[in-house]
Amino acid sequence: MTAVIETQNLSKWYRNVLGLSDVTLKIESGITGILGPNGAGKSTFLKLITGQIKPNIGNVTVKGEKIRNNYSLFSIIGFCPEQDSFYEEMTGWQFITSLLKLYFFSTFEIETKAQKALEIVELIKDKDRVIRSYSRGMRQRLKFAQAIAHEPEIFILDEPLNGLDPLGRRKIIRLIKTYKSEGKTIIVSSHVLPEIEAMTKKIILIHQGKIFAQGDIHYIRDLIEAHPHIISIKCSNPRELASRFIREDYVLKVHFGPTQDGLLVETNNRDKFFSLLPSLFVESNIQVEEITSPDDNLQAVFDYLIGK
Amino acid sequence: MTIKEKGYTHWDGEFKDGKFPWWPITRYGIKLTFKKKFFKFFFFMTLVPAVVYLVGIYISERLEDFSFMVRESTVFLQINPAYFKSYFTNEGLLFMIVIILVFAGAGLISDDLKYNSLQLYFSRPLKKKDYFIGKAAVIVFFLFIVTLIPGLVFIIMKIVFSGSFKFFASYPWLVLSVIAYSILVTAFFAFYSLFLSSIGKNRRYVAILIFGLYFFTDIIYEILYGIFKSPYFSLLSFKINLQQVGAFIFNQKTQYAVSWVYSLLIIIGICILSALVLKKKIRGVEIVK
Amino acid sequence: MSVEVRDLHFSYGKVKALDGVALDLPKGAIGLLGPNGAGKSTLLRILLGFLSPDKGEGRVLGYDIKYQQPMIRRFVGYMPEDDCFIPGMDAVSFTSYLGELSGMPRQEAMKRAHEVLFYVGLEESRYRNIETYSGGMKQRLKLAQAIVHDPRLLFLDEPTSGLDPQGRKEILGLIIDISSKKDIQVLISSHILPDIEATCSYVVILNKGRLAADGNISELKQIKYSLYEMKIKGENKNFLQKLRDMKSNVEETEDGLLKVYMPPGKNPQDIFKTAAEEKIQIRHFVKSQTSLEDLFAKVVGVD
Repeated sequence: MTAVIETQNLSKWYRNVLGLSDVTLKIESGITGILGPNGAGKSTFLKLITGQIKPNIGNVTVKGEKIRNNYSLFSIIGFCPEQDSFYEEMTGWQFITSLLKLYFFSTFEIETKAQKALEIVELIKDKDRVIRSYSRGMRQRLKFAQAIAHEPEIFILDEPLNGLDPLGRRKIIRLIKTYKSEGKTIIVSSHVLPEIEAMTKKIILIHQGKIFAQGDIHYIRDLIEAHPHIISIKCSNPRELASRFIREDYVLKVHFGPTQDGLLVETNNRDKFFSLLPSLFVESNIQVEEITSPDDNLQAVFDYLIGK
Repeated sequence: MTIKEKGYTHWDGEFKDGKFPWWPITRYGIKLTFKKKFFKFFFFMTLVPAVVYLVGIYISERLEDFSFMVRESTVFLQINPAYFKSYFTNEGLLFMIVIILVFAGAGLISDDLKYNSLQLYFSRPLKKKDYFIGKAAVIVFFLFIVTLIPGLVFIIMKIVFSGSFKFFASYPWLVLSVIAYSILVTAFFAFYSLFLSSIGKNRRYVAILIFGLYFFTDIIYEILYGIFKSPYFSLLSFKINLQQVGAFIFNQKTQYAVSWVYSLLIIIGICILSALVLKKKIRGVEIVK
Repeated sequence: MSVEVRDLHFSYGKVKALDGVALDLPKGAIGLLGPNGAGKSTLLRILLGFLSPDKGEGRVLGYDIKYQQPMIRRFVGYMPEDDCFIPGMDAVSFTSYLGELSGMPRQEAMKRAHEVLFYVGLEESRYRNIETYSGGMKQRLKLAQAIVHDPRLLFLDEPTSGLDPQGRKEILGLIIDISSKKDIQVLISSHILPDIEATCSYVVILNKGRLAADGNISELKQIKYSLYEMKIKGENKNFLQKLRDMKSNVEETEDGLLKVYMPPGKNPQDIFKTAAEEKIQIRHFVKSQTSLEDLFAKVVGVD
């Protein structure tokens, strides 16, 4: 697949405050989750790839073209910023239509597009209220509406789910997935890791202004050798099972939970471990309830790479 | 041997019976006021007149020692209710009180509105009344220091310097006058500044209102009086209303040809109005529709 | 029971916020869920004694919600959703001040303030002016002031809003620790369902001012038929065929998850037997459950 967005040695600082440092990467179409602690450089990165700010070093290309001052590119990008920035005295409708005017659509197009976007975020009923009177969730939805109203190809969404209720989150996550199935490019940030996982397996982890990891979550997890894999098994007779494990040299640790209905195994060779497992169950006649990998998820990747 | 286990620990103390649940509000209010820049300076300046008047009382008892200084007039240094009235109703003192309010009163409620902290207060066993008393007591504290306390000190020192109770015997009601007037002024300014503090979220804006409104009423009076020459316009001025009632309380002639009763009614009216607004404004939750 | 209410009604003018809610909450951590405008905040405010219900009755910690509000507030802690603090104070004064307002003696409040600030992890910045605090620190401070008087009931409104993954994990850890104390009940209102699943064993879901569902999360999520989800590694053609031969229904989702429906009479042991025969690795195996999100959407009437 060809990269939609490419950056080279991208660096940005604000006087002596570091924003981003030496970021070279390629982002393909589909959904890419972007995450990192507060102040890691996420928002700086998103502003750089949308051409809102100028990098000190490096450059950004979108679909092979330079982004800075490239107005034809701006119309295929939809950006949902993290911070609120509204004209408080406008109504929701005025806000969306006035932004659509900037793309030189015809009046008819502006109205149908605004109508459509506001319907998607369920703000049609409140479109004639001034933004000042909107609740937090409504503001968030309006911000999202302005990012999608002009039907862009590339969506850059900074914390789009913030402040939404579970139904709002569900709806937006589904919408983002339909954009993916239409072949569009979505870059989405969130602090709620399970939400990222619900959308995508492809992530970019930013910390201290640098890229700490990029790619598939499970693939990244496998690369972290410092932390052996933990496998949790809930079954009958866990101690019998454990007695079989301790003979294997790739099993590093076995512990039992307080409830005695299962065990946790640490191993540095998952392939061998899992190959052995089914036959062990059968030989020892163990009833299995559950096999899970509690540290093969985004939270674990995040903790292992960034945690204290 | 004991160990302290990790994790949440309980507090095993006893709650107080809570006779003065508002007291912490007052104590922190006073503490925070003293932390403000320049406040100490202005507060000290406010106490200067009290010191001057106290020196006056001292001199009045030692007139012969100072006769070289006061040649022409001995009238000035007669210590009588008029002397007290002139301390309590002089423009300078009222001006300094307004300055104190700007420091101590402006942020009292407006800060809580700005930083959403009312809900922190009202998720505790506090009633609206307690919150209000706690905030008002901050102003009471500062204003009593410049009104009630100097007044009582003057009387006591007069008795001490003269070495006899003659002064007290001549004006036995003066103590009550001092108390009554201090309460009136303090109550008025407490309601006045709490009311203004509850209508804005920005402390600076409230400070300007406290300062501005007070002088605005006076200027309006000056202008309207200048045009229409009717003494009734003096009722518009907060300052004059206080002075009129003050003159009555200290048994002096009122300066303006309008009954002090109207002034008193206006002052009480403003207090009641403020109390009603405060009752509506102070609540633990913003009602969102 | 620390919270029992019957038939609560409350309206803001013409807008009905609560329309006959009855609750009987068990011990432990409880999640309070609902779409915007479902009446969550109103319910919280009534239970806290900020508002008095138009109709209905109830008791919180044994105190009447209409007539004994000050007593309720002595024993509850409240962590509001929005940022709130008192300017010009450092964290220790702020926390002990609010402890005093709860009725703690001054010296005790000071001692306890240090203790809870250590507990929430603000020990190093506890003498700093709170106006200089970051979002995450303010969130911790709000928690500290909610537990300074050792409440028996703790209300947390969106406790993780605005936190980054690390901050979120730490706050959730604190909430789990507090609610593991048997004598503190914790009630958490949140839009972030994974947070509720991480901390609570029981949920209450409100919709349009009414109770839409309540119960143990694990019971609510159970599904009746035996459907298993698994991830496998290895040459899976024969394996899948053998499973199908057992008359089980096998479905593969786009992200590589196998959903296996076991017919009555067969048990999951057979899957492992087949896997052993076919040298297939089973890397993930759980009994399928409704996700909390699907459950939520179902009870509030959205697909």
